[in-house]
Amino acid sequence: MAAAKKLMSVRRDWRERDVRVVLAALIIAVATVATIALFASQLQRTLVSSASSFLAADRQLEAENGRPVPEIWITEAANLGLETGRMVEFSTMVFGSDAFQLVSIKAVSNEYPLRGDLEIQGATEGSREQVQHGPAPGEVWINPRLLRLLDIKIGDSLEVGSQNLTVSGVLLREPDGGFSLSALAPRVMMHVDDVASTGVIQEGSRVEYVYLFAGKETALDTYYQWLEPQLEPSHEWEGVRDGETFSRSLERAESFLLLGGSLAVLLAAVAVAVASRQYALSQRDTVALLKTLGLGSSGIGRLYLKRLSLWGVTGMIGGLLVALPLFWLLTRLLSEALERPVEFQLDSSALTPALLTAVVSLFAFAYPPIRRLRNVPAMRVLRSQPGETGREALPDMLIAIVAVFGLVWLYAGELSLVIALLGGLALLLGALGLLGSLLVAALRKVRGGGHSWRLALVGLYRHRRASLSQIAVFAMTLMLATTLILVRTSLLDDWQAQLPDDAPNHFLINIAPDSIDEVAGYWKERGQPLDQLYPMVRGRLTELNGQPVKEVVSKDQRVGALNRELNLTWMTALPKDNSIVEGNWFEAGQTDGVSVEAELAGKLGLALGDELTFTIGSDKVTETVTSIRTVQWDSMKPNFYMAFPPEGGLTNMPATWITSFYLPKDKKSALNEFSRRFPTVSLLEIDNIIERIQEIVRQVTQAIEAILVLILAAALVVMAAVVSATLQDRQREGALLRTLGGRQRLLVRSTMLEFALLGGFAGILGVAAAEAAVWALQFRMFEGSFKWHWHVVLPIPVISAVVLSLFGRWQLRPVLSVSPMLLLRRLE
Amino acid sequence: MQTTHYDSQRPMLSVENLTHRVSLETDTLTILKGVSLEINRGESVAIVGRSGSGKTTLLGLLAGLDTPTEGTVELDGAIISKLSEDERAQLRAHRVGFVFQSFQLLPALTALENVMLPLELAGMDAPEKRAKELLERVGLGERLAHTPRQLSGGEQQRVAIARAFASEPAIMFADEPTGNLDNRTGQEISDLLMALNQEQGTTLVMVTHDEQLAARCSRQFHIEAGELTEPVAQVELAH
Repeated sequence: MAAAKKLMSVRRDWRERDVRVVLAALIIAVATVATIALFASQLQRTLVSSASSFLAADRQLEAENGRPVPEIWITEAANLGLETGRMVEFSTMVFGSDAFQLVSIKAVSNEYPLRGDLEIQGATEGSREQVQHGPAPGEVWINPRLLRLLDIKIGDSLEVGSQNLTVSGVLLREPDGGFSLSALAPRVMMHVDDVASTGVIQEGSRVEYVYLFAGKETALDTYYQWLEPQLEPSHEWEGVRDGETFSRSLERAESFLLLGGSLAVLLAAVAVAVASRQYALSQRDTVALLKTLGLGSSGIGRLYLKRLSLWGVTGMIGGLLVALPLFWLLTRLLSEALERPVEFQLDSSALTPALLTAVVSLFAFAYPPIRRLRNVPAMRVLRSQPGETGREALPDMLIAIVAVFGLVWLYAGELSLVIALLGGLALLLGALGLLGSLLVAALRKVRGGGHSWRLALVGLYRHRRASLSQIAVFAMTLMLATTLILVRTSLLDDWQAQLPDDAPNHFLINIAPDSIDEVAGYWKERGQPLDQLYPMVRGRLTELNGQPVKEVVSKDQRVGALNRELNLTWMTALPKDNSIVEGNWFEAGQTDGVSVEAELAGKLGLALGDELTFTIGSDKVTETVTSIRTVQWDSMKPNFYMAFPPEGGLTNMPATWITSFYLPKDKKSALNEFSRRFPTVSLLEIDNIIERIQEIVRQVTQAIEAILVLILAAALVVMAAVVSATLQDRQREGALLRTLGGRQRLLVRSTMLEFALLGGFAGILGVAAAEAAVWALQFRMFEGSFKWHWHVVLPIPVISAVVLSLFGRWQLRPVLSVSPMLLLRRLE
Repeated sequence: MQTTHYDSQRPMLSVENLTHRVSLETDTLTILKGVSLEINRGESVAIVGRSGSGKTTLLGLLAGLDTPTEGTVELDGAIISKLSEDERAQLRAHRVGFVFQSFQLLPALTALENVMLPLELAGMDAPEKRAKELLERVGLGERLAHTPRQLSGGEQQRVAIARAFASEPAIMFADEPTGNLDNRTGQEISDLLMALNQEQGTTLVMVTHDEQLAARCSRQFHIEAGELTEPVAQVELAH
């Protein structure tokens, strides 16, 4: 079947422009999605590995009931190929040269830390050294504050229970030092094998056993599935995603990437749909002839299905061949941005969405118009038949819409994103229908203006169907690209604005009421004034409407907040970054009620009017919920689940004060003197955490920019595809106009004007739809507030008009350079 | 698959009360009204009439490219409206040849491949050998590898004629075969068409404006506003 075979070979297809556009669109689609998916998964790994160091592992299992977990739990983890480590945490008194001090002990096994590293004081004063292990048996590393409190130095011995341990290091930072305010006493780190011989841990002691796990995500999941049914309420399984501050940053990062990915999917779909519709139109004569020569409908169907499959395979292979070097380049860029090596790792599962995109693009977008080729009447060989009215394409559009949103949903896993995009597109299409009919009506009436102006308007009117669909596609492309630009700039800016360079990076905890003024004075003198000070009372939530909480709240709903003491506070004014979602904030003089953080209220099923009972020391306090408020956990300021009014339920309870402030790196030495002067105030250094979060923001920005470049490239191909669709008509008309004596200048001007009008219309519509989509996205996804983006809204229609008019000029080249006679013959 | 039985006693083409209407946006347009005719095997017939008289529609219906609103077309023993579209395609593949005014060659294929295509579609043996023979017969033995764009109009129509006769059809339909050609080339093409028709004993049904060409057919049907005036005997036309 030499001739028939040749008719369907990809090599021959490649010579046809429409097919070239379909294949190019497909290759770009696969390449874009593959690059994004590969890079997203790489970034995810990089972020998670950097985040994991906050747990010193990938997962932690905490046993807060004072008993170690069964040994089989650990051996099972090892059997699954996971690395494991152990820690025991408890508070006790230690004895130095001649003083006692309450310390918080962390005893660690040899494997600690599985992720991240510790920082200890180096050999020379003030230098820092990073190590990946804890102290050896018989030794302890202690917090610098403790050196001063106990007046001891390196090499001295420290009495822990009945054991004497040698102080061999000064601990400056531990990876999982975290953010938890419960570690108030100075830290002593020792080896876990020494714990038993100290004799400190007795029946009933408050001890927390912590187990560390690290390894492949799949193995961790398998392990958790095995472990979960055996967990008791006092066991807490913690992953990176559960840590509040950090998980929010990661979620945001994921949302950005997924948004980019979804837009790529949409653009790919548009490109393939437009190009293959053009292809199908151009194939009608061939199909009619083949039918006349005796090929039946089913034969035609098979012929084109085979062809489509060949394109699919070509698109997949081509796309991957483009994606791999791009991904390699991005990995290099990432590595440079982070100033550390990033492993080039191909995650083959990340390729699935790319290949799926190729299959879905072909079968949901390319196949329907091509399938309709079967219905082309053979009679077309004798007489041109009425073309498609557009009505046949309606079911195609339904299939396409379902497919695109299925893809986006599958890919982003985020229904609100799908809804926002669907809403934006529906708005766009509605506006187009309305504007289209207005435009047609208006163009018919337009008179006057110069020759070229009139020709341009006539051109738009004559191709009104094509003009409308071009405006629709450009507008959609512009909407998607604009959405991404807006989301990237506005949301990243919002995010960064929440973590300004002078965001508080140190906490002072445990400030006694009578030393508040002195502490504030100390930092004011050094030019680093303290933020708002909050009183802090530690207590547990024990009853809900008179019932014990542990009975009312099921195990599944139980949250960490119930397992430990909460930090309770009272305040007059609502903090700036909090906002009331239900009820009312305390009025001046109000002394009853409690305000609950919204997420916790949701988890516990709390409503206004519920009665909460807190146990504080030996006292019980019962208050009614009067408001529910949201809290910015990533604001790096003191945040509280429960807030009382001044002179309210917490009156006369033992309170200490907490605050945060910003301290630049070069002034850190002021901390030493502070610790000496205020030995009872605890200092929490979180500058390290802030730096990591800022690092995430930087990485995500980098990734989004790379993805944006790819998406804009896809958008350009879509535009080229759409304009090429009417290229032949335009060239023929241009040639005719020249034959009839039209001057080149007239032709150039009218064409450029026509395209500028197209671009301008599309720009206005696209930007309006983008604003709508961003509005929806910001409300539903990112919890931000909406602003108009004039700096983007105004230039985009102008840029779009200019770019399209230049594109139109470029498309006109063959008409101007070749004799009209030759061109007309060639276009025949 | 052969869908018809060859029966030399029956007419090649028999049309009864053929009516064809197309619906427009507001009303219905009747293009053909109650056309009946018979064409015997080996006959050559010209359908003549003014532009818009319905002759191209009639040709399309006779060849089974379209189905009529009313009436029957029996082509080589098969009633066209009773066949499925695929069966009609099969019938065309094996029994019917076409020559068009605008040649209708596939621009991507060479002259040789264009002629081979229907042979392949009909599943015939040695398509290349047969296609070469035919191209040599129409005088294009030297231009096998040329694509349509590299050929003149007359040459393109020769390729189209070679393609039409390649599968040895029982009946040949031609739509203004000389319409796009100058007089002299048109004359050459007419000669070729008639000669091949005679050599292969094909039934020829042709729509044409070319009076000379029409005169070379054994019978003429005149069509006016969708209605057939009586078939005109060749003798009457001749004087």
